[in-house]
Amino acid sequence: MRFHLPFNKMEVTRLAEKEIDLRRLVIKAFHMTDVEFGEHNDITVDGHMTVSKEMLDDFVAREEHIEKIDIQIIKPGDHDRWTNTIMDIIPISTKVLGKLGEGITHTVTGVYVMLTGVDVNGKQCHEFGSSEGNLKDQLYLNRAGTPGDDDYIISFDVTLAAGMGQERPGPTAAHRVCDEFIQTYREKLKKFKGEKCTERHEYHDVVRPGKKRVLIVRQVAGQGAMYDTHLFANEPSGVEGGRSIIDMGNMPILITPNEYRDGIIRSMQ
Amino acid sequence: MGIGPSTKETTLHHFRDPLLEVVAADTDLDLMGIIIVGTPDDNKDKLLVGTRTAVWAEAMRADGVILSSDGWGNSDVDYTNTCEQLGIRGIPVTGLNFSGTVAQFVVVNDYLDGIIDINKSEDGTETNVVGENNMVELDCLKAKALLKLKMRQKDQKNQNR
Repeated sequence: MRFHLPFNKMEVTRLAEKEIDLRRLVIKAFHMTDVEFGEHNDITVDGHMTVSKEMLDDFVAREEHIEKIDIQIIKPGDHDRWTNTIMDIIPISTKVLGKLGEGITHTVTGVYVMLTGVDVNGKQCHEFGSSEGNLKDQLYLNRAGTPGDDDYIISFDVTLAAGMGQERPGPTAAHRVCDEFIQTYREKLKKFKGEKCTERHEYHDVVRPGKKRVLIVRQVAGQGAMYDTHLFANEPSGVEGGRSIIDMGNMPILITPNEYRDGIIRSMQ
Repeated sequence: MGIGPSTKETTLHHFRDPLLEVVAADTDLDLMGIIIVGTPDDNKDKLLVGTRTAVWAEAMRADGVILSSDGWGNSDVDYTNTCEQLGIRGIPVTGLNFSGTVAQFVVVNDYLDGIIDINKSEDGTETNVVGENNMVELDCLKAKALLKLKMRQKDQKNQNR
């Protein structure tokens, strides 16, 4: 009798194998074709970005561990120049509809922010190897986590108070002000008309019943000082509102594929 | 200690992570989610968080796990323990880790045969070049293929019982 499955059971088996769609995330990219200095931070839907240093004095005045900040616009290929150790490379993305992991996100392509750090005595903001030197030798382009050959880089270079490059509040402050700088672009990017995007990607969290259940585990930094990882910020790849994995006891945290794709992690190392 | 410039994963990396896309695109697999686990400083804590991760995987009835790390050196203690904790629970595990010539595992156990070395530098060292020794799509495809093989081997073993 074992091969005589009742029809309704067969139907159930067939249905069970159908993919179940849990939620959708749409990421719309807006490509920047030129980046130049100007009076105020600005970004336009037709690909022009203006960078200003006007916020920097206020950051330095406000943050006790920060002594100086400089911004440079690095043109594609113009990498024969000094860089302090690279703390992070950050995409400019913002939530337009819904929460992280669903709805609509706008992101910028063609330009990425590079956060670098050193203290007033020239001690680099790192202790297990650092990447200061000539940028063309210290940055491997075209990886998932690095800019491509044709991308602009906005160098956000922070000089911390003596010894603060190795103490947790120092790098955290650098990330915080860099995030505030990026936020000015996010506010404008939010208002871009979606249909003007240069790329549109649609992602679905799905269940595939009956298939091998696989879990990805990502071991991230949480040792302390500059070795920290933040999750759950208000904005994609942001700092504000985020929680430190150190403060969460480094315990395993479960996230959905779409949350991950939407920039739920800020790498603080 | 733990993360060198060439292995560190930037915020941009996490935004465009190749491992997620490789696993999510495979219609033979049901990707349940991603666990983010830290690397504490204290040894006892290292063993704790990895063990809690394995308990999660077991409770979720995971058929397999791919474990990645963006550091080397003392973070291998965390990494190898998590592999072991998954292994002793009978969950096939493969992964991505930087070894090269300078960073072979500082501790070893019986569950590390599915780990892909993501070294890209010629001499297998920490080059201090940001992004150089990061995982790329090919590494992820290897780890995924190896996991599928391990899960199949486990099924066959169970059938032969």
